[in-house]
Amino acid sequence: MDELSFRRTIYAEPNTTDPDIIQAAKNDPAKQAFWDEVKAMDTQLAQAMNIPVPENFADKLILRQGMDEFTQQRKKRPWYVAMAASVAMVVGVSYMTLLAGNNGLANDVFAHVSHEYMNKEMTMGGQNITQEAINEKMATFNGALSEDIGDVVSANYCYLNTIKSLHMIIRGKTGLVNLFVVTDNKSKELEEDFSNDELIGTSFLLSSAKIIIVGDDREDVSQLQLVAQKAFRF
Amino acid sequence: MFSRNKKQSLSVSTDMMIKQKRYEALVKAFHADIFRYAMWLIKDKAIAEDVVQETFLRAWKSLDSLKDQAAAKSWLITILRRENARRFERKQFDLVDIDDVVVADPHNFGDVALEHRELRRIMSDLSEEYREPLMMQILMGFTGDEIAEQLNLNKNTVMTRLFRARNQIKEALLGEQPKGEQVNG
Repeated sequence: MDELSFRRTIYAEPNTTDPDIIQAAKNDPAKQAFWDEVKAMDTQLAQAMNIPVPENFADKLILRQGMDEFTQQRKKRPWYVAMAASVAMVVGVSYMTLLAGNNGLANDVFAHVSHEYMNKEMTMGGQNITQEAINEKMATFNGALSEDIGDVVSANYCYLNTIKSLHMIIRGKTGLVNLFVVTDNKSKELEEDFSNDELIGTSFLLSSAKIIIVGDDREDVSQLQLVAQKAFRF
Repeated sequence: MFSRNKKQSLSVSTDMMIKQKRYEALVKAFHADIFRYAMWLIKDKAIAEDVVQETFLRAWKSLDSLKDQAAAKSWLITILRRENARRFERKQFDLVDIDDVVVADPHNFGDVALEHRELRRIMSDLSEEYREPLMMQILMGFTGDEIAEQLNLNKNTVMTRLFRARNQIKEALLGEQPKGEQVNG
């Protein structure tokens, strides 16, 4: 085998099992050395291609599909199919049914604070959410936390329908309270105060960002609102 | 009447659970490779993440059409490439943004392995027709035939591109200007 076609084959397919190539390398140490060199380059290339995958990406993909399924159920399927699909899902669907016709963004917020969804988020969030970890995520919104806002049990990016948000779950006095950070231009339609039968929500503007706080205890919500107004900087 | 309904709903529920399990297994096995592939294809982390999300969403919706588990990887890459192409159909201006702004920034890929920066820069600089088959071969472990099928090219063309891709990388590493790049064929 001539030099050129040997090199061409090796460059095109370093892991070739072509018997002619293997034989040619056996007969000629220079060819074998060239082959080894290309294989080494491929190893380097493979390592260089190996870029880090975003944290919890797999969980996000699974979660996202869950949310999609969730909204599909509401739109297309009769209620008894939804119930059969998952009892837990019905909790969410009933939130949405109760709210049908209301503010879209508020519906999405409520969907993200269903118990089932919150549990998923908390299990993928890990244990200790440090202020530093939160600020890494806050950087997306050009903001930062300048002081402690309490016991944060989860902080993840969430899509409120198509709007990217940072969803934090914080322990309040009587239960868990949810805090969302979204950019203001995407959330203009949301009212300052909104609620359904079980949940109370409030939202306020901090320069370029909107903070949304939702929970089932009015006092917890207003307490967190006070803290958040001081703690976030944009 | 009631019992029939109950049976039906039970089987719906079981089907959903089986589908969910299959989907989760698919995500766990392939999300990293698919994300990396998207990053090399798109070179922008936020867009790559979005496209991968769309890819898996679509995979979920048509999961029943995936009969052969062994083909899952190719199947996902096919969906990813289609989703990426749709991005250009949807938003023409994205095309300008990406090409002008994000090209070849090795920092964009996130981590710090110094010795790989140079290689990453070189790979980013490869034209897409060379980079894509190379990624398929190295990152995804596709054979020449599989790459040919994905890219809708004949195998000889694929082998030529792979040869040229490595040739250009080698020359770039040696600090020479790559010769004869952008040759068609």
